[in-house]
Amino acid sequence: MAAGTSTTPHHVMVIDTNRCVGCWTCAVGCKEVNNEPLGYWWNRVLTTAPNQSTSAKKPASENIDVPWGEYPNVEMSYLPVACQHCNDAPCVKVCPVQATFRRDDGTVLVDYERCIGCRYCIAACPYGVRVFNWGGGEYAPGGVVGYGKDYRTDGHLVFEPERPKGVVEKCTFCVERIDVGEQPFCVEVCPLGARVFGDLNDPASEVSQLVNEGGAVQLLAELGTEPNVYYVPTRRRVMTET
Amino acid sequence: MASQSVAVTVPAPGWGRRLGVPAWYAALGAACAFGLAAWIYELEKGLASTGMRDVVSWGLYIFTFAFFIGLSAGGLIMASSSEVFGIKALRPLARMGVLSAAGCVAVAALMIIPDLGQPFRVTNILVHPNWTSPLVWDILIISIYFVFSVVDLAVLHRRARQPGRSRQVARVLAYIGLPTAVLLHSVTAWIFGLQIARTWWNTALMAPLFVVSAILSGTALVTLVALAAERWAGFHLAPATRRWLRGLVTVTLLIDLFFVGSDYITMLWGNVPADRSALNLVLPGGAWSWVFWLEWVVGGLVPLAFLVVPRLRQLPGSLGTASFLVLVGVYAFRVELVVIGFVNPLLQYPPGNALGTYSPATPSFQLVGRYSPTWVEYGIVIGLMALFALVMTAGYQWLALGRAETPVEAEEPSGADS
Repeated sequence: MAAGTSTTPHHVMVIDTNRCVGCWTCAVGCKEVNNEPLGYWWNRVLTTAPNQSTSAKKPASENIDVPWGEYPNVEMSYLPVACQHCNDAPCVKVCPVQATFRRDDGTVLVDYERCIGCRYCIAACPYGVRVFNWGGGEYAPGGVVGYGKDYRTDGHLVFEPERPKGVVEKCTFCVERIDVGEQPFCVEVCPLGARVFGDLNDPASEVSQLVNEGGAVQLLAELGTEPNVYYVPTRRRVMTET
Repeated sequence: MASQSVAVTVPAPGWGRRLGVPAWYAALGAACAFGLAAWIYELEKGLASTGMRDVVSWGLYIFTFAFFIGLSAGGLIMASSSEVFGIKALRPLARMGVLSAAGCVAVAALMIIPDLGQPFRVTNILVHPNWTSPLVWDILIISIYFVFSVVDLAVLHRRARQPGRSRQVARVLAYIGLPTAVLLHSVTAWIFGLQIARTWWNTALMAPLFVVSAILSGTALVTLVALAAERWAGFHLAPATRRWLRGLVTVTLLIDLFFVGSDYITMLWGNVPADRSALNLVLPGGAWSWVFWLEWVVGGLVPLAFLVVPRLRQLPGSLGTASFLVLVGVYAFRVELVVIGFVNPLLQYPPGNALGTYSPATPSFQLVGRYSPTWVEYGIVIGLMALFALVMTAGYQWLALGRAETPVEAEEPSGADS
């Protein structure tokens, strides 16, 4: 998309994996602001290794925070993953009822009132970021309610604090926040400043710098889904024994 | 029984046993009621009452859906082939075949309903169809196929009662039926085969594989129904017909295994990690290897032996046994197809995907997915299978299929078959 040709922003998130320490604050913050029931994770932090392809190596463990390799030759980094908000999104293509749709700013959303709960989108998403409401959702006692209101865009109900049973949901880029000029909550709460959100149509924006010059890449870019979430790859840093 | 022409009127001793029929209907009715009760329970509790979760988000319902779509092929293809390719020996099975086609495709369509999180919104597919979705096309072709089968059945039935009438119509329908059946299986295959997310599904072989496994399982089903009708309901299966059924099952079984094996070889030789991790789950030693044994041995080599080894094929129950085992094998293939696509991790990094539900003291994440169905899923599937049996039995009686419609001359001495 040519820079600055339209007034609609092109919303993009860039995550600098060099800054991520795997603290899960973004994931927990996401749960709180979006009032996600127990067992739901719209956003999660995967343990990985620098420059490792998504499937080339066997995982070091089923658990998080376990490095690859043997001491002292070990390596580890983190990959926070939520909806990648693809421009050519497989979920949008397969949804039989157009409940999943892409807004002009690049945000992919689900209409909670239209979804029939067939879960074809879950089968079609290469990133495994969609969540289905299996039983209505349980909450821990005294949990935080977060945003706490319904939110509609172009008439579509895309957020409800009381989650409807039998409907698919996922990261919304905090649509209710970005529409009033705020940052997505994960960007705001990240203690390392690893997340940057902005307008790719604005060449002066920080996300434009990172995407155009900072070497930020898309996850599974070879599939051609054109995600609007970018990652600054981890630079390998070798620790030497002293 | 060799080289003997079959009489038009065959006495029907089966229905004479009065006690058996009501008991059969009662058992099927009870199973249907149980399935309905399970569905009401599921509506109340949500899909949390199933074994599916965010990692393996399609399960027994979708295996059975794909299986029944496949089963619906055999009858229609058999009925149409008898016209299109002039295979006279298959004509006595035409009405029974089309009846099973209609029943199977109706059950397959019903199977989708309990899988939906919001079943009462299903009309959204008509109101807001998304034409890039293979699912919308599948629903369209399923509807066409069902209507077509019912019309075809009516025409065949009229023709059977008044020989000579509706001949042209039946011929035209047969020529439409074959491509419709091929399309139905292809579109269903593309629900999976077009998806780039899961390498296990994303193969161009998917549609041909679905078409051949559909002919295989559909023929096996019609064979079983015909054998059951012969045993209990006075139907007569001519040796020539028997020979055609045996031949069809044998050839399609070989092609089916060839296609699946061809996919295995591609993944093994290529050694791409994502493909290998999926395949290793199925091959001996993997968590789902029981599916491999059911598909290749119980539903592959064993029925093949019953079909081709001279000593075994002479056994009285060889065709029935082989047909039943073939159905087991094709069902195993559906399980393999759907489940491995889901359990194989998308991004192979811990902790994997969240399940979407929480239960104390169990992890909320799975890297390699796990799935086992609950009683609710078994209940609904058994209920729908009983509904299918009910439709078949009632249809058989109503259409009076026990009386052979066209005399079949055995074209040549039938040798060791029958």
